[in-house]
Amino acid sequence: MQFMIQTGARRAVMAAVMGLGALALAGGAAAATPADTLVIGKPADPQTLDPAITIDNNDWTVTYPAYQRLMRYKQVDGKGSTEVEGDLAASWTTSPDNLVWTFTLNAGQQFADGTAVDAQAVKQSFERLLAKKQGPSEAFPADMKIDAVDAKTVRFTLKKPFAPFLYTLANNGASIVNPKAMQRPDADAWLSGHTAGSGPYQLVSWQKGQALTLERNPHYAGSKKPVLDKFVVKIVPESSARRLQLQKGDLDVAEELPVDQLQALKKDKAVHVAEFPSLRVTYLYLNNAKGPLRSADLRHAVVDSLDYKGIVDGIMMGQAKQMRGPIPEGMWGYDADLPQPKQDVAAAKALVSKAGGVKSPLLLRYSTQDPAWEPIALTVQANLTAAGIPVKLEKLANATLRENLGQGNFDISIGNWSPDFADPYMFTSYWFDSDKKGLAGNRSFYSNPQVDGWLREAATLSDQSKRIALYKQVQEQVVKDAAYAYLYQKNYQAGLGANVQGFVFNPMLERVFNVADMKK
Amino acid sequence: MNGSWLPVVGRRLISLVWVVVGVSLITFIISHLVPGDPARLVAGDRATPEIVAHIRSQLGLDLPLPQQYLHYMGQLLHGDLGTSIRTHRPVLQDIAAFFPATLELALVALILATVLGIPLGVLSAVYRNRLTDHLARTLAVAGISTPAFWLGLGLIVIFYGNLGWLPGGGRIDQGMAPPPGVTGLYLIDAALAGDWPVWRSALQHMLLPAITLGFVHLGVVARQVRSSMLEQLNEDYVRTARAYGLSPWVVVLRHALPNALIPSVTVLGLALGDLLYGAVLTETVFGWPGMGAYVVDSIQALDFPAVMGFAVVVSFAYVVLNLLVDLLYRRLDPRIRGIG
Repeated sequence: MQFMIQTGARRAVMAAVMGLGALALAGGAAAATPADTLVIGKPADPQTLDPAITIDNNDWTVTYPAYQRLMRYKQVDGKGSTEVEGDLAASWTTSPDNLVWTFTLNAGQQFADGTAVDAQAVKQSFERLLAKKQGPSEAFPADMKIDAVDAKTVRFTLKKPFAPFLYTLANNGASIVNPKAMQRPDADAWLSGHTAGSGPYQLVSWQKGQALTLERNPHYAGSKKPVLDKFVVKIVPESSARRLQLQKGDLDVAEELPVDQLQALKKDKAVHVAEFPSLRVTYLYLNNAKGPLRSADLRHAVVDSLDYKGIVDGIMMGQAKQMRGPIPEGMWGYDADLPQPKQDVAAAKALVSKAGGVKSPLLLRYSTQDPAWEPIALTVQANLTAAGIPVKLEKLANATLRENLGQGNFDISIGNWSPDFADPYMFTSYWFDSDKKGLAGNRSFYSNPQVDGWLREAATLSDQSKRIALYKQVQEQVVKDAAYAYLYQKNYQAGLGANVQGFVFNPMLERVFNVADMKK
Repeated sequence: MNGSWLPVVGRRLISLVWVVVGVSLITFIISHLVPGDPARLVAGDRATPEIVAHIRSQLGLDLPLPQQYLHYMGQLLHGDLGTSIRTHRPVLQDIAAFFPATLELALVALILATVLGIPLGVLSAVYRNRLTDHLARTLAVAGISTPAFWLGLGLIVIFYGNLGWLPGGGRIDQGMAPPPGVTGLYLIDAALAGDWPVWRSALQHMLLPAITLGFVHLGVVARQVRSSMLEQLNEDYVRTARAYGLSPWVVVLRHALPNALIPSVTVLGLALGDLLYGAVLTETVFGWPGMGAYVVDSIQALDFPAVMGFAVVVSFAYVVLNLLVDLLYRRLDPRIRGIG
């Protein structure tokens, strides 16, 4: 081909390139967030904002500051605590048999539209929660009765004593909803996309997949005095993009950053990496009911063969703390006297031969729901093989994994757990009561009638010291039975702009920000 | 256009019914073959069996499968895609919120791929085996083989991170109100409203994701145009045109190019389908609020109504767009006007 049309074609290409360049240059894009607004970057949109439906902390980032509850978690010396204090409730009394709880509401509390928060609103919110029978209702006694004694007094009558009751009232599920919203004909659909609470902030817009904007509730009459006018939850799915936007000042807070990115952020003076011990624990389910791990010796061999230090330092890059028993440090009932599990390959080998060896490989099923699970699975496989226990790994989609966990189709699996309410009940009754076998919580399918008895007794007592004594017994016994292998409690980490002040992490409220206290 | 397009449209619209039935049935079967219990996912792991059973019956998941499917199709006839298990909102409402963003991104990416791909293909053919051709072909191969994820992150690091010229993600500046929703396509809506600051912001946000998404198809288009252009340039009529003393420029652009473009129209039609389905990674990298993230989250939550809604809507859009492409094809190529 000998056509000579260079000039024309070149001109066209140049024009196209310059056009693009001009568009790109048409004004800088990066800008700092407005002074009166806190912008929080998260990987995913909330699913639903209905407090009677959502069980996802990612949704609570929006709902928790938009609603109030009877109780709330205390801040002690500027730190989050698992203790509770009144929020809407000014005071409360309990009957001697722990069955009747009577709450007096604070005066002058109002929903965002100015409607008064009264006993009827409390009654209707709980009745709706129980009638919906969705995930959040599970934390409350299904058969409790709620009465509005007068405008300021609400009474809960339980059929049997439930020691953690007061703590459950600080749950997201215990949010008090404006009765006007609950009476709408489209109440369920509406509440899934709007907020109708009396909390310090209210949702004003939700651009799906982009941002949720919350503004100060003009009628908020609680004890917090919000400083910032707005907070915005911005959806930035990719973690590198979140990190970059935080560094460029387009985000004030970036959540859910991988450990390696957080390490890199620590070198940036414009950013502060907040780290707090959390109550989110990672542990191994050992199938006590089926297969080779029915043998307690073999389960002990598993516990003895694990490289705990390697998992904490290598996989978690030190951002975790090894557990001793089921109740993590920071939760009352934690037993500091339990021996710290340590890798002891010789002891593990001895236990394997005592148990008569392992013929066919154990099946370790896991998913990549948590990025740490795959390296943990590989470590467990290497550790157990070294102790003479062959392991076969099987990676499944998370939904499929759960199905198998529920049916006990595994020898070993990996799980995370974080408490719904601040009570050791969450780490004991759920994990060890033989009534909760399967996904409900007892995922090792552990069964010990003696432990069942202690747990059920502890759940009815109001005397905390007696409960602590029972939980101590429980922990010693389940460690002796090697019901699970306890790995670590993870640190919660978030990247914050260096100018952001007042963030207090509460281990009960992961991914929830105390926006009403925060400023910049 | 002559009168023969009407029956074509009629036939295509009838076939659309079968496409929707087929797609919904296959999606339904596949999504129910996946082991896992959506009711359990809604209720949470800790829920009691009673709560899970209650949710299962509420979602109609306790009915026999054929009955569930018929029920779904009955709703579909009334334009109801059901309610999302995950978000508890009507699926149609969710899709209406996310689809325009994906469509807008796909269209702009397609325009970029076309506007840059065609000249690239022409240059490549005209300067066959010379430097321009090698450069153009290298670019085309790079387009086809570069993972969108990598390219997207690279562009963000350079144009947002280092240069600060373009925003790092999203569809519009933080704090800016979106234009009044007429089409859901921000560039068009902002232009209709005469809101130029919003239009500019939407364009700036669009640029990097559209380049990322369009780059793959740019390569495909350029290669397609190059090969059909080469074919045309060897045809007798080109030689005749040249013999008449027409300028090379006129021969290439007025005579050879229109013929070379006909197969490219098909490629572009297919590309648009690909762009609709394939925007997931690009959307994730750029935080583009399209269907990608919605569908991935829905699949993970075993949200059957949402997944089926996506499949039905996209296949519907795909068929309609292909119909438009075919009509365009008939317009461009007189030879097939008489063929149904």
